[in-house]
Amino acid sequence: MEKIRLLLLSLAVWGAIAGLPRPASAEDAPRGATIEERLDALDQRQRILERNWELDKESAESKGKSAVVAGAGNDGFILKSAAGGFQLKVGGFVQADGRFFLDDEQKPATNQFLIRRAFLNFEGTVNRIFVFRIQTDFGGGKTTLQDAYLDARFAPAIQLLVGKTKTPFLLERLQSATDRRFVELAFPNALSPNRDIGAFLHGDLFNDTVRYAAGVFNGLPDGDTSDGDAADDKDGAARLFVHPFRNTGIEPLEGLGLGIAATYGNQEGKVDAAKKSVTSSLPSYKTSGQNTFFSYRSGVDSGDFSADNNVIADGNRTRISPQAYYYWGPFGLLGEYVRSRQEVRRNADVAALTNSAWQAAGYYVLTGEKNSFKHINPARPFDLSKGQFGALELAARYSELRVDGDAFPRYADPAKSAGRAKAWAGGINWYLTQKVKVAANYEVTRFKGGASGNRDRETEKAVLSRFEVAF
Amino acid sequence: MIRSRIAARLSVLLLGLGVLLAGPAHAEVTLLNVSYDPTRELYQDFNVAFAKHWQEKTGVKVVVKQSHGGSGKQARAVIDGLAADVVTLALAYDIDEISGKARLIPKNWQSRFPHNSAPYTSTIVFLVRKGNPKGIKDWNDLVRPGVSVITPNPKTSGGARWNYLAAWGYALKKNGNDEGKAKEFVARLFRNVPVLDSGARGSTTTFVQRGIGDVFISWENEAFLAVNELGKDRFEIVVPSVSILAEPPVTVVDKVAKKRGTEAVSKAYLEYLYTPEGQEIAARHYYRPRLASVAARYEKQFPKVNLFTIDDVFGGWQKAQKKHFADGGVYDQIYLAGK
Repeated sequence: MEKIRLLLLSLAVWGAIAGLPRPASAEDAPRGATIEERLDALDQRQRILERNWELDKESAESKGKSAVVAGAGNDGFILKSAAGGFQLKVGGFVQADGRFFLDDEQKPATNQFLIRRAFLNFEGTVNRIFVFRIQTDFGGGKTTLQDAYLDARFAPAIQLLVGKTKTPFLLERLQSATDRRFVELAFPNALSPNRDIGAFLHGDLFNDTVRYAAGVFNGLPDGDTSDGDAADDKDGAARLFVHPFRNTGIEPLEGLGLGIAATYGNQEGKVDAAKKSVTSSLPSYKTSGQNTFFSYRSGVDSGDFSADNNVIADGNRTRISPQAYYYWGPFGLLGEYVRSRQEVRRNADVAALTNSAWQAAGYYVLTGEKNSFKHINPARPFDLSKGQFGALELAARYSELRVDGDAFPRYADPAKSAGRAKAWAGGINWYLTQKVKVAANYEVTRFKGGASGNRDRETEKAVLSRFEVAF
Repeated sequence: MIRSRIAARLSVLLLGLGVLLAGPAHAEVTLLNVSYDPTRELYQDFNVAFAKHWQEKTGVKVVVKQSHGGSGKQARAVIDGLAADVVTLALAYDIDEISGKARLIPKNWQSRFPHNSAPYTSTIVFLVRKGNPKGIKDWNDLVRPGVSVITPNPKTSGGARWNYLAAWGYALKKNGNDEGKAKEFVARLFRNVPVLDSGARGSTTTFVQRGIGDVFISWENEAFLAVNELGKDRFEIVVPSVSILAEPPVTVVDKVAKKRGTEAVSKAYLEYLYTPEGQEIAARHYYRPRLASVAARYEKQFPKVNLFTIDDVFGGWQKAQKKHFADGGVYDQIYLAGK
């Protein structure tokens, strides 16, 4: 200790000689002071320097602890308290699409550029465990509330989400719109509920090996989204997804995920001829080009509100979907099947119709980046000055949708609605950066039925392009 | 088929589970006492005594958490959202600030407990090194060249404001109430201060542990603590000819206590300070007790000092604060001139 003091004293002497700043201290030792008094004065000056430095450091640390942290980056724009218990994140994305059709003699849709999605979201954390999210979509010139929920994250295994969000059901539907590999969703999504309002428990178990979700929702027709419910009955939904080889160290298998999901509920439409009102509570199905190729019989467009000419939901609705993905290195696979059973009624006739769909998709990142269910992170983000061009991915997909044969002709018009649609698609995704993507797809959809005279609906050949930027 | 009743029950079950997980019920109350720097040891003992008393009286376990720092800094923390059930600060002005700026406390807070809500008092004395090598006897010795004085920063420390005002009061008295000479005196004193800690406990560290300075202008209780706990062979207390009666006040932070459902226990906590048990604990920690019976038992512990009050000399804390410690006030003028 004495050695250290002598060392510090020497430093102080050197400091004084070198003209270092002097502390605002007591007067130096007076003239005529003894050597010991002078050394004491130097010692005091050294101690004062050290203490003031210590206080400055404490003050800086204290300010750092209480300061609000502001940031901007790949996660959006963030404000958060120093301890991280409170946070507000503003983000969003825009998808500007081009949608063109080849050989479309019947012109079911127009070639066009459009704003497919323009999302703005506010996501925050209150008191560390309460997460909220409000997300609106301005795409297509409309304003739609996409998400509005509170998620109480008590522990990774126990989280309670209340509000509007995606129903925990289908794999591709649950993938973020900016992470999907194709411009439009495959057919299974037509049979899946979209965003619904409800409450569900969810969580990750065993270090993210098992994910579960189970809860109660308003209940939606296939492919639908809503902000309320016209019926008292509610749907139950549950999903279990496991990564059996995660955390095992077997790298080629760690990216394998297997799951199953189901919904169960009751849906009843309503025909009120007197009030000229029909609520069918039944879906219609669209192609990637957003052309409707199947719908149940409805007289509404022709002003017919009779029970005989309007098909409505009338009872039990169940859906089940086995699903899987696999990612290893630049390679990825995604597959899922969904079966949707709904009891329907046309006047006095009732039937339980089962529609099904499946898809198999494969992806390969030509530039070697790791593929995953989430976004691709380019190893060499676009920067011409560095000769970097981002990441390039090829994708291919086959998907199919079958309508129950019993739907025809009583519940659906075979001259207008196809009973089966098969689509194959090829695509290329160019990830300029993690947040900027350009995509181009070519998708061919062939139908069985759907045209007059027992003929098939015209094959749809769609070129779909997208420029996407997120923040 | 899931009918509405089943669905409703499921919803209630889910939400109920959430609520249970969010806030498991306990027969336990937690209080936060936001206090100033030198009261750590006092409230450590007092909290144990009060918890025992409260459990015996009500069967409820009470856990009192403590937060300490410079009084002004602590008041600002409460204004900025620190959820204190009670505050026990160094001076009334800091509680006035909480009342005025955050409106968490009614304006008449000082009338809610006896003795202007100050259950114990203290004063300002000098702590010097053993043998008093610089021969410090009174305030005028603190402005001598070559005397190094330790005191915290009056902008952040309640104790430092008491120190400053004690010195000012002495100078006024000595110079026939000449404000100019008082200002010059205090300015000279602060020119002898080499380190400005943000709180009294920091200054104790500077003087006692870091060995800096010849004299530490200190709360009486802090000086006693240094002498009795850290070594009678190292320090001595010097009682100046005149000093200030420091009255550290306490109050319930009404809006916070109401929101947290702790109003009754917070009030009982502060009332317990006035009981013989509470006063005894205060006296043991070198705070001057209000209760005559306890004060009599500790008479020999506390030297007799010629004390003036802040009302007598400065017209109360509001006036003193505005004139001396507000931005651009006398202290700022002195500090900036000395830089």
